[in-house]
Amino acid sequence: MTHFELFSLAPSVDLDVAALEAQHRKLAMETHPDRVSGADAHTRRLAAEKSAALNDAVKVLKDPVRRAMYVLELKGVKLDSEHDAAKVKMPMDFLEEIMEQREALEAVKATRKLEGAHAMAVQIRAAKDKTLALAQVALRRDDVPTATTALGRVRYYTRFLEEVDAFEEELSS
Amino acid sequence: MKGYLQIHDPLKPKGSVVGIDLGTTNSLVAAVIDGKPTCLPADEGDQFLLPSVVHYAENGSVVVGKFAAKLLPHFPNDTIKSVKRFMGKSLGDLETKKLGAYQFVTGKGVVRFQVKGGQPVTPIEVSGEILRQLKRKAESYFAGKVEQAVITVPAYFDDAQRQATRDAGRLAGLEVLRLLNEPTAAALAYGLDKGVQGLYAVYDLGGGTFDISILELVDGVFQVKSVGGDSALGGDDFDRAIVQKVLDARGITSPSNQQIASLLQFACTAKEQLTDVESATLEFEGVPFPVTRADFNAWIQPLLAKTGQSVRRALKDAGLTVDQVKGVVLVGGSTRVPAVRAYVAELFGKPALFDIDPDQVVALGAAIQADLLTNEARKDEVLLLDVIPLSLGLETMGGVVEKLIQRNSAIPIAQAQVFTTFQDGQTGMDIHVLQGERELVADNRSLARFRLSGIPPMAAGMGRVQVVFKVDADGILSVAAKEETTGVEQKITVKPSHGLTDEEIEQMLLDSIDHAEDDMQRRMLAEQRVEAERLLMDGAKQLKENGDLLSADERKSFEQQLARLTEITKTETNHELLKIAITEVDELARPFVGRIMDRAIGKAAVGHRMEDF
Repeated sequence: MTHFELFSLAPSVDLDVAALEAQHRKLAMETHPDRVSGADAHTRRLAAEKSAALNDAVKVLKDPVRRAMYVLELKGVKLDSEHDAAKVKMPMDFLEEIMEQREALEAVKATRKLEGAHAMAVQIRAAKDKTLALAQVALRRDDVPTATTALGRVRYYTRFLEEVDAFEEELSS
Repeated sequence: MKGYLQIHDPLKPKGSVVGIDLGTTNSLVAAVIDGKPTCLPADEGDQFLLPSVVHYAENGSVVVGKFAAKLLPHFPNDTIKSVKRFMGKSLGDLETKKLGAYQFVTGKGVVRFQVKGGQPVTPIEVSGEILRQLKRKAESYFAGKVEQAVITVPAYFDDAQRQATRDAGRLAGLEVLRLLNEPTAAALAYGLDKGVQGLYAVYDLGGGTFDISILELVDGVFQVKSVGGDSALGGDDFDRAIVQKVLDARGITSPSNQQIASLLQFACTAKEQLTDVESATLEFEGVPFPVTRADFNAWIQPLLAKTGQSVRRALKDAGLTVDQVKGVVLVGGSTRVPAVRAYVAELFGKPALFDIDPDQVVALGAAIQADLLTNEARKDEVLLLDVIPLSLGLETMGGVVEKLIQRNSAIPIAQAQVFTTFQDGQTGMDIHVLQGERELVADNRSLARFRLSGIPPMAAGMGRVQVVFKVDADGILSVAAKEETTGVEQKITVKPSHGLTDEEIEQMLLDSIDHAEDDMQRRMLAEQRVEAERLLMDGAKQLKENGDLLSADERKSFEQQLARLTEITKTETNHELLKIAITEVDELARPFVGRIMDRAIGKAAVGHRMEDF
């Protein structure tokens, strides 16, 4: 069953997250292992599996980037792991651009100052939001090639922002 | 989890279920009685708080609680305090050295304390003694068996610490229904007893751990949004901050174990006094050391700031801002400190809630969860959805961690990832499981290593190994690896290298059953023996230091009494008779104690006993 099917939803980049979470609570009330703590091992295992599947689905669906990537995956293009993403060809100029930005981030990290990293993060976040919006438009139109390139870019931006977060945590610990 | 002498006959009633807060400083046991969560007497004098202190006496017996705490200054090496800080740790990854006066058995693997009266003991066994005492007290309260419990752990406990806690429960003869995160337990108590709804933060500062949880309470579902914290930060650190100031002021650079132990006690007392008064004076080696509340507040500021960082990070992980949080619940004895309350109020911009006793709230929540899990009639009332506190991943090329499950993912959860072989003819793959947030293997906690072998030789990149991580509702991980083309498979429940093996636990259980029969008698005798030893030690010390206060006759008679008590302590096997002998010596010493006090403080003292010194 797909993540969408678990919640009886049609696959779409547009989704009411609050409604999804309410639905999750309702389903969890039926499927969580605690509901069957006195039952036999088989029933408990099934409950744990169903519950894990729901938790995984919610995690993917409530995040707009992961949701978009999942919709793309259902259209046949996987981007979620390193392995799969490596197969998607990205435009050269974009790769050069991201490489430069990464070098700049490394330089900022060497100074151990958070402000510089934050300033870069603001720019990248704006680029990410814009590109995600492009991807969503493409997915609504079923334009897989455009969506693939756009989400490939979003993926790089996301990694960049994660690195800024990690740097911030490192500095504060 | 099966086979540890927990054979259940379905026809046999399982007895009462309890919730246990196995705390760093104090432990509690609670149960739902007539629909109401209630703490049960846990220590001598029927107090709810059982100090988490375990004393190992020369004759091999074990004393737990208030009594053991009294012995701490006298036997710092044989009395284990704050054992929770050692759970699931190896000597290598500890800042153990700062944690007390213990003597460790050197070597690899699990921490072992060298104590009197037998084999070295592991933190799991020490915690097992605390749990056994709680079980015993609960059984005497119910006048029936108690075999199932929900035990709480800090939300921030890693896999090894959780495993260790669960093993301690098994050692104590308890079926652990659930390891419940402490802040979640607190939220459960507030949610059910006080009808709290919406987004809440639980700020839990105990003796040795700090936890922050962000929860949403909607329609009977308690959903943890994120957790954070520090499993080595708590009220004990406040005491240590005071101790350090005293040592600095006195110019003591390498204090003795005795000095640290007694200073820690004075510091703890001073800290508690400062909750109610503006200044306190602790006396160290006869010289007073005044501490004002303002001093103390300043000394602990850096520690409070560390909690603030954890709070901000947890909010960020939950994708929330501080003003979306409707209220903050305070948990843990250390939140009685006024500076802590002020700090929390400022951090969240609203005063914190402490309607339920912060010492009891976790145990009460655990009791509720135990009831919910076993009481058919209540099953539909509430559901807890918890998260995993730290990310889980695998070592990949170049000593880098690839995360399979991100921290703050809802549990139970399963995630799979496919790795390909990287060499021609590769027939095995090493699986190294890690927990933590850092990029490099060396900076994370190593949970387990195993090898998937029997992969048929193929060209590089052709062998595809699928690794599946499963985290159950207790937050405990199991890992399976499978080569996809051939179906070669390996599965393990992650057993941390610094934990105990199943065989060791089984042996310990057998040992404890062998000795179970006259347990109670032995225990009471042990307590009296320890009391006698302490009295003898004090008596000898006072004779040496203040013997000139006695006339020759008095001295002779006192010495004779001490010699008699020494003899009785060695030979007497009836605890009642030993107790009488102790009382006699104590009575005889009374005038002597009075004179010593006159000398020490310069005023008459009435009604004091030797132990007051």
